[in-house]
Amino acid sequence: MRRVLIVEDSNAVRTFVRGALEDEDFQRAVGGFDVIEAASGFEAMAQFPRGTFACIVTDINMGDINGLEIVNFVRKSEAHRLTPIVIISTQSSERDIARGLALGASAYLTKPFSAEALQACVRSFVAPDEG
Amino acid sequence: MADMVRAHARDLRRATDTGKRVEYLAFTLGSQIYAVPIQHIAEILKPPPVTEIPRAPRNVVGIISVRGKLVTVIDLRRRFGLIEAPFDRSTRILLSDTGDDEPIGLLVDEVIQVYRLSEQEIEPAAALGGDQPAYILGIGRQDDVLLVLLELKSLIES
Amino acid sequence: MADFGFESSDRKEEFFSEAQEIVDALGKLLLDVEVTVAESRVDPDVINEMFRAVHTLKGIAGLFGATRMSGMSHELENILDDVRMGRLDLTAAVLDLLFRAVDLYTHILLFERGDAPDPEHQIAALLSSFARVTQPDEAPTSNIFTQFDLDPGLFGVLTEYEEHRLKSNIESGLALFRLRVRFSLMVLDSALEDLKKKAKPLGEIITYLPAPSTDESDFENLELDILMASKCPTSLIETTLSIEGLVVNPVLRRVGGAPPPKHGPPKSNTPLPKIGGAPSMPPPTIAGPPRLPRDLIPDSVATPAPSRKSSRPGSRHSLTPAGGAGQAAQFVGKSAAQTTVRVDIRKLDRLMTILGELAIVRSAVGRLAERFRGSVEHRELGGDLHRLHRTFERHLGQMQNGILEVRMVQLGPVFDKLQRGLRAISREYSRPVNLVITGQETEIDKLIVEELSDPLMHMVRNAFDHGIEDLEDRIKVGKPEVGTVALNAFQKGNHVVIEVEDDGRGMDPKLIIASAIRKGVITESESGEMSARDAYRLVFVPGFSTKAVVTDLSGRGVGLDVVKTNISRLGGIVDITSDVGIGTKMTITLPVTLAIINVLIVELAGRSFAIPLASVEEAFVYEPARTRNVEGREVLSLRGQSLPICNLLKLLHLNTFDDEGRKYYVVTVAVGIRRLGLLVDRLEGQQDIVIKPLGRSLKAVRGFSGAAELGDQRVALVIDVAAIVEEVLAGDQGRYLAIAGDGRG
Repeated sequence: MRRVLIVEDSNAVRTFVRGALEDEDFQRAVGGFDVIEAASGFEAMAQFPRGTFACIVTDINMGDINGLEIVNFVRKSEAHRLTPIVIISTQSSERDIARGLALGASAYLTKPFSAEALQACVRSFVAPDEG
Repeated sequence: MADMVRAHARDLRRATDTGKRVEYLAFTLGSQIYAVPIQHIAEILKPPPVTEIPRAPRNVVGIISVRGKLVTVIDLRRRFGLIEAPFDRSTRILLSDTGDDEPIGLLVDEVIQVYRLSEQEIEPAAALGGDQPAYILGIGRQDDVLLVLLELKSLIES
Repeated sequence: MADFGFESSDRKEEFFSEAQEIVDALGKLLLDVEVTVAESRVDPDVINEMFRAVHTLKGIAGLFGATRMSGMSHELENILDDVRMGRLDLTAAVLDLLFRAVDLYTHILLFERGDAPDPEHQIAALLSSFARVTQPDEAPTSNIFTQFDLDPGLFGVLTEYEEHRLKSNIESGLALFRLRVRFSLMVLDSALEDLKKKAKPLGEIITYLPAPSTDESDFENLELDILMASKCPTSLIETTLSIEGLVVNPVLRRVGGAPPPKHGPPKSNTPLPKIGGAPSMPPPTIAGPPRLPRDLIPDSVATPAPSRKSSRPGSRHSLTPAGGAGQAAQFVGKSAAQTTVRVDIRKLDRLMTILGELAIVRSAVGRLAERFRGSVEHRELGGDLHRLHRTFERHLGQMQNGILEVRMVQLGPVFDKLQRGLRAISREYSRPVNLVITGQETEIDKLIVEELSDPLMHMVRNAFDHGIEDLEDRIKVGKPEVGTVALNAFQKGNHVVIEVEDDGRGMDPKLIIASAIRKGVITESESGEMSARDAYRLVFVPGFSTKAVVTDLSGRGVGLDVVKTNISRLGGIVDITSDVGIGTKMTITLPVTLAIINVLIVELAGRSFAIPLASVEEAFVYEPARTRNVEGREVLSLRGQSLPICNLLKLLHLNTFDDEGRKYYVVTVAVGIRRLGLLVDRLEGQQDIVIKPLGRSLKAVRGFSGAAELGDQRVALVIDVAAIVEEVLAGDQGRYLAIAGDGRG
């Protein structure tokens, strides 16, 4: 089973993102994947050696290891460097979003975003026909 | 204004209670009527078979299974130093719900009714004078009925 | 927003609870800040925490359509951003506004729940006050970083806030340091907590950068590159943090403040030391982001112009020199399959609970089938049902094994950790030691593994400290110069056995007994009765230590008693065998799993109890004529061996009617090498049960490892055999001599 990683320190946002990604119709449309959660950069770091991901959705403003560092790490990792990364952040951190893209993030969504917008974004990376 | 707000920040919980009537579930133990805030009661159960626990604290009647979960049952009669009474048709177990804590079953003689008490109808424990145990919230009065209002969290923990 | 069906109210609840939690925390932080403002020592971390709280509120409010909340949060976020970036002073007026905002948040949440009127006007009033206090001065930012010999790629991963903190620390004259540490993922949380606590008085940690791993199959460790600002010298940072393998490097100030190179991959101008001398890696080729869907990116940010080109990925392959694996690299555990999933063990517990319910249904169906088969008119139906029941039973069994398998993990990582620990103390005391490990592939329940590393570490240290002799002593008796500690694990039936063995001086029962008498643990007259095994057990008594010179290693007199307590909490037992001059072996015997167990249901004074079958050797009818009384304990002769008998009725203080003339059964239970006969009234049969823990208010009750449903709402207590055996045979100090070991008398 393919897997998508969510890195986000807010429980509610994680729940929301998981809900949107696990939506039955959406799962059917993109060919199915498991959603793995990480509540911090460190939890994400613990996930990386354990397998690959079809897509990574990450917040930027997190304590300790921030989202930019995750993007940087992933792009430098032999096993993960090709994994699409979607940044989710608020508009006010425009500069941080720009940095994320500069580091190699694939796309971004500004909070608040709709479930459809997230689905459309993730779909563009994990849809079976585009693989 | 700012002072008021600060007090509020220190105790957000209290502010949500003011001006509202609070519902209490009343029950009897012997001849006395007690009541607990109904929001802390998840369920009223007819007693299922209770498994006693050897060498458990005296207040513990035993454990029961509620939909696959084990719940420890406390005899409120023993808790308050009353003589134990045998189970009868009106005996009930109140299942507590105090948020994060694990649910506890409280064995009571009989459940009577729900009272909606306003602040004016409650005399806080502090006003009663003397050393009141922490689990006594106060005394409620309505239509000549006196209710001993209990605070579940400290009742269970003490 | 998409319709999430029945779950959406759950999600809304998640929103309310998180939002309220954050608002409460914000209120507390604000009170803290108010105090620090008065004493003018505001902690930037607290301000940042407030900013992040509001930031999160804004984010979740937006997702859940709480527009009042997201609107206000947006403004509040701007203010707090200005404060944390040093653009706005935290005056009394600003503080008052923040307090008002916290108050208003609670109101807004009540409104969103439908419990309060719309606070529209209050919000408008507050926002207009916001506008009045916020006039940040836009000071031009000079590039202060050029003074430092800092890797330009580093800036690409700093958030705006981190960059600001870096700047303000430099401006207040602090020096910068790069710290390289390697943490085991298993203990990451506590290691990090520890690091933060120790680092706090030294200065400020700007950020943690996960270092690109040289070994991507390394599941165990995370290497971090930490950027820290501090006034302290390197050596003080090193000694204060005192982390094994830590490397601290000051970031040098440039002479003349030359700007950093702006193009091309800079030379390694931040020479970090090579740790462990691992060979340098070829520069990885980094492809750009795989696909960039342009249509998803609005024009304003679609083509971001990074301030420094060199921060683009690929222009510089690493923040740190390649081959930065720590000194412990050679101790890294074996790689495992890449296709693993992490599962919360609670989810497995839930599955186990459901399985338990299914097992109850299964036995009900079985009874029904038997009833039908016994009746004349339904015999055929009964036969069909019986066959179905058998199939059901088989599949259920497979499923149970499958779930149990998922809970199992190898002991390897624990052993690796022990190896690192032993290596560290061996170096510290300059006493070489060999460690031989066998059976690291042995599997055991994950819950048990998590509790195992501390007690095992104690035992390994104990072997090193008390077991292995000094070099001269070893040479004198003709042993190999370097001592050996062996860790062996293997499965034995439903148990896992772990041995910690050393080839040291061994334990002399006479010396142990003498020491125990000296310490007042036992009396002289009691000591006369003691066998070697009784003597070994003395080392598990709290406060007992056999070594004359107490070192600061394991011989502090605490340790082995804690080991015993921890192991018995897991349903296991510790035993010691030793030969003077040859060595000592400590053996831990543990159940393979804690989740589902096959039990013998017995009746005692009208109540049902469950005894784990893994600990049951046999059951037979009790014959009083075959028992003798030895030192106040009833002992039964069984095939030439003595079996101590325990009357559970008395031990558990159960009330019963007159027990004259009752027929008893003896259930022989064994844990490790100890056996005990339990007297019960009746044997009811075997059953698979899902064991559930007793509630917190029953934590102090000894003798039961939990309870299980038997069906028909009946709940039976599960006897904690290890605890009962322990209580009866070893007991506490006062009853020490009540032991009636096997083969005695």
